[in-house]
Amino acid sequence: MQTFAIEALSWPKQGADLRRQVRDLVAEHVHPANPADLTNCWAVADPKFSRTLGQAGLLGMTWPKEYGGHERSPLERYIVLEELLAAGAPVGAHWIADRQTGTLLLRYGHEEERRRWVPGMARGEIYACIGLSEPNAGSDLAAVRTTARRDGDGWVLDGQKVWTTNAHNAHVMIALIRSEEGSERNAGLSQFIIPMDAPGLTVRPIYDLTGGHDFNEVFFDGVRLPATALLGVEGEGWKQATAELSLERSGPERYLSCLTLLTELIRAVGPSPSDSIRTLIGQLVSETWTLRLMSASVAAQIAQGQDPALEATIVKDLGNSFEQAMPALIQAAVETDLASDAALPIMLGHLLQVSPSFSLRGGTREILKGIIARGLGLR
Amino acid sequence: MNEQQHMLTEMVDGLFAGLGPSATIEKNWPQIEELGLTTLLLPEADGGFGGSWQDALIVFRLSGYHALSLPVPEAVIAARLASGCGLQGRGTIASRSDGRLEGGRFTGTVHGAVQSAGAAYIVAPATDGGSIVLSTEGAQRKPANNLAGEGRDVWAFDGASAFAVTEDVFELGAFARVAQIAGGLDAALGMSVSYANDRKQFGRPLAKFQAVQQSLATFAGEAAAANCAAMGLAQALDRGNADYEVAAAKLRANRAVGVGTSSAHQAHGAIGFTKEYDLHPITRRLWSARSEFGGDSHWATVLGGKVITAGAHRFWADLTALTD
Ligand SMILES: Cc1cc2nc3c(=O)[nH]c(=O)nc-3n(C[C@H](O)[C@H](O)[C@H](O)COP(=O)(O)OP(=O)(O)OC[C@H]3O[C@@H](n4cnc5c(N)ncnc54)[C@H](O)[C@@H]3O)c2cc1C
Repeated sequence: MQTFAIEALSWPKQGADLRRQVRDLVAEHVHPANPADLTNCWAVADPKFSRTLGQAGLLGMTWPKEYGGHERSPLERYIVLEELLAAGAPVGAHWIADRQTGTLLLRYGHEEERRRWVPGMARGEIYACIGLSEPNAGSDLAAVRTTARRDGDGWVLDGQKVWTTNAHNAHVMIALIRSEEGSERNAGLSQFIIPMDAPGLTVRPIYDLTGGHDFNEVFFDGVRLPATALLGVEGEGWKQATAELSLERSGPERYLSCLTLLTELIRAVGPSPSDSIRTLIGQLVSETWTLRLMSASVAAQIAQGQDPALEATIVKDLGNSFEQAMPALIQAAVETDLASDAALPIMLGHLLQVSPSFSLRGGTREILKGIIARGLGLR
Repeated sequence: MNEQQHMLTEMVDGLFAGLGPSATIEKNWPQIEELGLTTLLLPEADGGFGGSWQDALIVFRLSGYHALSLPVPEAVIAARLASGCGLQGRGTIASRSDGRLEGGRFTGTVHGAVQSAGAAYIVAPATDGGSIVLSTEGAQRKPANNLAGEGRDVWAFDGASAFAVTEDVFELGAFARVAQIAGGLDAALGMSVSYANDRKQFGRPLAKFQAVQQSLATFAGEAAAANCAAMGLAQALDRGNADYEVAAAKLRANRAVGVGTSSAHQAHGAIGFTKEYDLHPITRRLWSARSEFGGDSHWATVLGGKVITAGAHRFWADLTALTD
């Protein structure tokens, strides 16, 4: 049995140049007042930095030039992503648009909608959010109840999404919605592209346990959409959303949310730490090295036009477990005063609090393991 | 995989599947010799396959997958390292040496010599880096076994003729174990999945219980990690320097052994704990492999030390420079 297609990885030749470009950019622009902002950085929004990346040609890297993209390879894009995450750069504003919304629009969107949104995404000016979860549809996504009703040429939406990350910054949402009255489960669902300033749409903040504001409730109250807002094929929403989840789950952010904490640990303990800290660092570096290869090999398979859905799920699950375990391991190994204002305790304290979300967002650990089990032939 | 690697896989898979854990050197080594497998890493000009470390990964991994009881990876590595020494016959490798090398003569002991009864020479790590190639002529062997009953012998040498080579056999031995762990975990996972689908309790296959599914899904992740680590290390060896990668890969594979063996045995229940059932040839090799050529604490100390010495500002840069 071999569950993970293991191929030798070949990295792009221009990789080192690309890295240098990103590192220079980060050195110039990323100096947060609060070191906590260096952690879990793909949840930190900074539109100015997103525009800077757009100007540097580092967003929409794999998209066609016709839509403002740069027609570079998925592994080149991968290098940019891992550099930004390793540096703790504030990439939250554009992250979802660049990762999935733009790609999905290019794949399924009406030409008018593509022209309207995608070039701005590549410039780092148009941001997106994901409308999947609802109050009664969490892990059980097929239970979505928000409805789209035909109205002349267009559609009218009613219902509610929840836990919508970035909705308060976003210009646009792609949502999974029940478009066939009386349909059940994963039949009769469609995806729609929804402007966040549409009349009848309201966004209400939900504060997380640290008091931070990343996710939201989004209400649709008779929101009118033109015919072009239907994404792809009516009734094929479930299949499209599953493909979207592959994009959402496969990136390096699924194991790198705490990398800056590890770097800070290495800095803070200096050149001659205790044996136990030395071995802990060795262990964490070994995981990082392995996960990086696993994650990049998923990117390489996508680049070859394959759909490594099972591999991507395995990497997300392993990656989330690793990044979730890291803060607790470091807390156990290093005596820290979490009330102090040094970088290590601030970063550690923040990650101890937000790391429970790592195995929830993008599909819970239990749901991912269920998908892996199906891939193994157990279900 | 290229065409040649597909052929190599097919050939070796069939051979090792037939030989498995009950093969013996006395009876079955000629089959290995016949294929010329021990010359895998020798240049074609010298009558070898001219293989790469990625080719070696295929062979070593399959030896773990089939719980092969023949020291094929060890002979392959020994032949490669001893290629300039003019020695004939089957070579093997060892994990440690204690003693003095002076004027081409070695006096001291060698530990963990793999299935070395009848071996013509042993390649062992030198005490100060690199390796020494030792002819076994006139030396004394004290047999010892690992958990799977495979020879891990101790040898006493008294002025034996010895050659120093620069390649580090300890690293290469670690690579062999990483590859075997990768294969062994995949095999144990496959057995566990089949067993869970066949065995019924409470009126349905074990596979239908979510707790069993989740545990085997976790196992699958560990097996995947070990396999990716093995490939990453093989690629590094082919690039020419794997000091960093061997530490990272062996440590990761070692950790996967812990999760994998316990999940496999848990899924099998009591039957998996019997001599009769074919899980233990895999798991006992896995437990041994975890300690051989560097346990967790050894490689964690090495890797942690490297990263700490380089400093925080070099950590990510060094990691990415490995593949750029
Ligand atoms: C930080 C964060 C950001 C998010 N951003 C977004 C977003 O932008 N857009 C969006 O649509 N959603 C978002 N989500 C929602 C996320 O997708 C859901 O939280 C997730 O799908 C789980 O749903 P739930 O929270 O309703 O938990 P539930 O489904 O109620 O699950 C609760 C627990 O029960 C377990 N469980 C549920 N069903 C099963 C089962 N069949 N077998 C075993 N265990 C089970 C779960 O694994 C979990 O541990 C975000 C969540 C977080 C935490």
